[in-house]
Amino acid sequence: MHEQLWFTEILNRYFAGPVNSLLNAVHRPAEYSNAPIPNFFAMEILVVGILLVFFVLVRSRLSVENPGGLQHAMEGVYGFIDNQSHEIIGHDYKRFTPYLITVGLFILVGNLIGLIPGFESPTANKLVPLGVAVCTFIYYHFHGIRKHKHHYIKQFVGPVLALSPLMFLIEVVSHLARVLSLTVRLYANMFAGEMVTLAFFSLIPIGVPIIFLLLHLGVSLVQTFIFVVLATVYLAGAVGEEH
Amino acid sequence: MRKLTFLFMVIAVLAIASPMYAQGGTTTAPTFNWAIPIGAGIGMGLASGLAGMGQGRVAAAVAESIARNPGARAGIQLALFIGLAFIESLVLFAFVLIFLRTA
Repeated sequence: MHEQLWFTEILNRYFAGPVNSLLNAVHRPAEYSNAPIPNFFAMEILVVGILLVFFVLVRSRLSVENPGGLQHAMEGVYGFIDNQSHEIIGHDYKRFTPYLITVGLFILVGNLIGLIPGFESPTANKLVPLGVAVCTFIYYHFHGIRKHKHHYIKQFVGPVLALSPLMFLIEVVSHLARVLSLTVRLYANMFAGEMVTLAFFSLIPIGVPIIFLLLHLGVSLVQTFIFVVLATVYLAGAVGEEH
Repeated sequence: MRKLTFLFMVIAVLAIASPMYAQGGTTTAPTFNWAIPIGAGIGMGLASGLAGMGQGRVAAAVAESIARNPGARAGIQLALFIGLAFIESLVLFAFVLIFLRTA
C-alpha cells in the first residue's frame, strides 16, 4: 500500500467502495483495492474545493460601495489577465478571460499547496498537467473552428498548395507537441523543485532547504504565468486573422 | 613516433579493458548497469549547461533592449518569459527522460 496523506485517507475511508466499482466498470481495477484514490487525485479534489469555497466567499461579499480586500485581490487578478489577453489576442478577447483565470488559479493553488507540510502538489504528478493541457488544446481548437468555420484548415496547410500535405503533417505534429511541452514543463518544474529541496534536505536538514523552498515558490508563480501566457498565445493563433 | 606509441598504448589498454569487464560480468551477473548514472550525469550536464548559455544570451539581449527603450518593458518581458520557458522546457525534457531511465 502506498503512503497516504491525511486527506487521501479521509477520502479513501468514505469513497473507496464507489471508486472501486467505477474503476472495475471501466476494466481498470485499482492497484490497491483498499485505497483506490491516489494522493494526487485527492489533492486535486482539495484544490477544486478550496477554489469553490473561495469563489463563493468572494461572490457573496461583492459590493460597489465598500469593496473588501478579497474583492480587490480578485479584481487585480482579473485586471491582469484581462489586460494581458487584450494585448496578445486583440479585439474579441473578453470571452477567453474566464477560462484563462480558472486555469491560472487552479495551477497556482495546485503549485502552492505543495509548500504546506501535510500536502503535496497535484501538479507534481504528470497526469494533472496533462489534463489541463488537453483541456487547453480542445478549447483553442474549438474556438478556432467556431471563429473560422471550415477555413480553419487553412492555418494548417500553408500558402503553397503543392506543399500542403507536408505542411499539414508538420502542423499536426507541432500542435500535438504543444500538449507535450505544456504538460512536461509544468510537471517537471514542480517535480524537479521538490527533488532539489529533498536533495538539499538530505545533505543539511536545518536552514538551507528553506532557500530552495523560496526558489520553489518563485518557480510556482512563474510557471503559472507561463502556462496562462502560452494558452493565450495559442488562442491568439487559433482565433487570429490570417496575415 | 611518440604519438604512435601513445596511440598503441591506448589501444592496448582499451583492448584489455573490455574482456576484463566481460569477465566480471560473467562471474557476478551484473544487476547494476554502471553506464546509466554516468550517462545521466553527462546528459543533464550538457542539457543544463547549453541551456544556461542560451538563457544567458536571452537575458543579455533583454537587459540591453530595456536599457535602450525602457518604455517597451512590458512587451519585452512577455517575450523574455515565453523565450525562457521554451529554452527551459528542453532541459526539462532531458530531466524527465533521465528520470524515467534511471528510476
